[in-house]
Amino acid sequence: MFDFQNVTENTRIRLCLDCGKCTVVCPVARYDPEFNPRLIVQNTLSQNGRGPVDERIWSCITCNMCMERCNYNVGFTDFIRYLRYAALAEGTEVQCSHGGTPQAIMHMMAHKEIRQNRLDWLPKDIKVQKQSDTAFFVGCAPYFDVLFNDLGVKTVEGPKGALRLLNRAQIPFTILSNERCCGRDLLLQGDTEGFLALAQANMSEFGKRGIKKIITSCPECYYTLKVDYPNFLENWDINVAHATEVLAQFVESGQLVLGDHQQKVTYHDPCTLGRYSRIFDQPRSILHSIDGLEMIEMADSREKALCCGASPWVHCGSVNRQIQKERLAQAAATGADILVTACPKCQIHLKCAQKNAENNDVCQIEIQDIFDLAAQSLSSEEAS
Amino acid sequence: MAKLYPEVLIFACNWDGWSCIDAASNLGLRYPASVKLVRVNCLSRIHAGLILKAFDFGAEGVMLLGCVPGMCHFGADSEYIINECEKAQRILEMLGVWRDRLVLVRLPAYDGHGFVGEVNKLMEEIDRIPPSKRSKLIRSRPAQHAKV
Repeated sequence: MFDFQNVTENTRIRLCLDCGKCTVVCPVARYDPEFNPRLIVQNTLSQNGRGPVDERIWSCITCNMCMERCNYNVGFTDFIRYLRYAALAEGTEVQCSHGGTPQAIMHMMAHKEIRQNRLDWLPKDIKVQKQSDTAFFVGCAPYFDVLFNDLGVKTVEGPKGALRLLNRAQIPFTILSNERCCGRDLLLQGDTEGFLALAQANMSEFGKRGIKKIITSCPECYYTLKVDYPNFLENWDINVAHATEVLAQFVESGQLVLGDHQQKVTYHDPCTLGRYSRIFDQPRSILHSIDGLEMIEMADSREKALCCGASPWVHCGSVNRQIQKERLAQAAATGADILVTACPKCQIHLKCAQKNAENNDVCQIEIQDIFDLAAQSLSSEEAS
Repeated sequence: MAKLYPEVLIFACNWDGWSCIDAASNLGLRYPASVKLVRVNCLSRIHAGLILKAFDFGAEGVMLLGCVPGMCHFGADSEYIINECEKAQRILEMLGVWRDRLVLVRLPAYDGHGFVGEVNKLMEEIDRIPPSKRSKLIRSRPAQHAKV
């Protein structure tokens, strides 16, 4: 599917000057001296992509911090994706986190015969149109809640809040009962065939329902549908918007008025929403429009925001834990009551660090989804 | 034409679980040949990922065969497999795959008759699923190499 020549051109990898700025800013390299983006590039290029598989390619958390810093816009994360694809093709084994359950779910969803039964969480007070050309893409939140039940995550509260806000803004939408996972984790993991199977299943589902526009509350789904699907699928012409973009417009124009919420919060930029999609201001403008909400920025925010230590459900280890601890310490330093984020995976990873903390060395700050928080402010307004 | 039985995968613990299968063959009891056996040292080795993978690769039913509570060879409690089984059942339900296709069976040692009874019960359960919902998943893509 890819060849080394094409990949080196598309990722501009030969422009790498060996300067090492990527390694200086890389959060993984900070805690794992063995991991070095600069050397991975140099070693692979010197052997023309024919050398033995470098085990360290699995440690990259694809947070895109390196690309943010690189003066030549070298696409290291895309390059890593290719190296993983080539490694899998050679038969290398990947160490899957959580027993490979997320991957198993994604592979099962890719089957054509699957008819999902995934809307049990949908509350009755949310108005969903039976027929509409705008679809709300929920993502894997309902599955995450079952899978990470022991962490006490409630990621589905995010989409619920987003739907309530869309209802309040009177934006009509439908929900697909048989939408598949967007496949981002398989793509990042190098399983391009698995990703394509999911993407095609999704495209045929959207085609059947005549969908022209998709709104999603998950940054990973947003980026995949908006950027990766057009690259991999022919005839993809669906307009994709993140719920923060849609809602921020309504909030700024005064068409959507949020309520009151007296608390101090800090906002954690998910990598895929921030550095990848450049959506920094919209979530902040939603938070600023909530009365009484005091917003404090963390030491590293916006383009420099530290990743939650996520990975596409592979090779999760002590380095990822260190990054999570550092991020939670930054949140603690702000003195905020709640860490607000817009990504279900950030919630899962940070909660995992909190749950498995030893000697109370991890800040136990409350973690909440931005849409859940904004929708709560609406209900407080109704109560008063 | 002989009846086609559903493909069932059994994860059996090496101790009481496996002894039941042994006893069934020693007693000359018959059960469908579509049953595939995977012997593991303890059912705690099995997690939701492996169970779902079995369905992904075409199993129509999965049985987790282990010892009765309190009889674990390793003295560990069996909470882990109960949680994992429940988790897998909830995910299967969401995926639209009948949740009763996955059963956790716990038998005393050398209960051959009990084992065959449970296998037949699971087969009947799968046969009861309406044809529209009884889709056997066929993996068209090659297996991804993964340590799970």
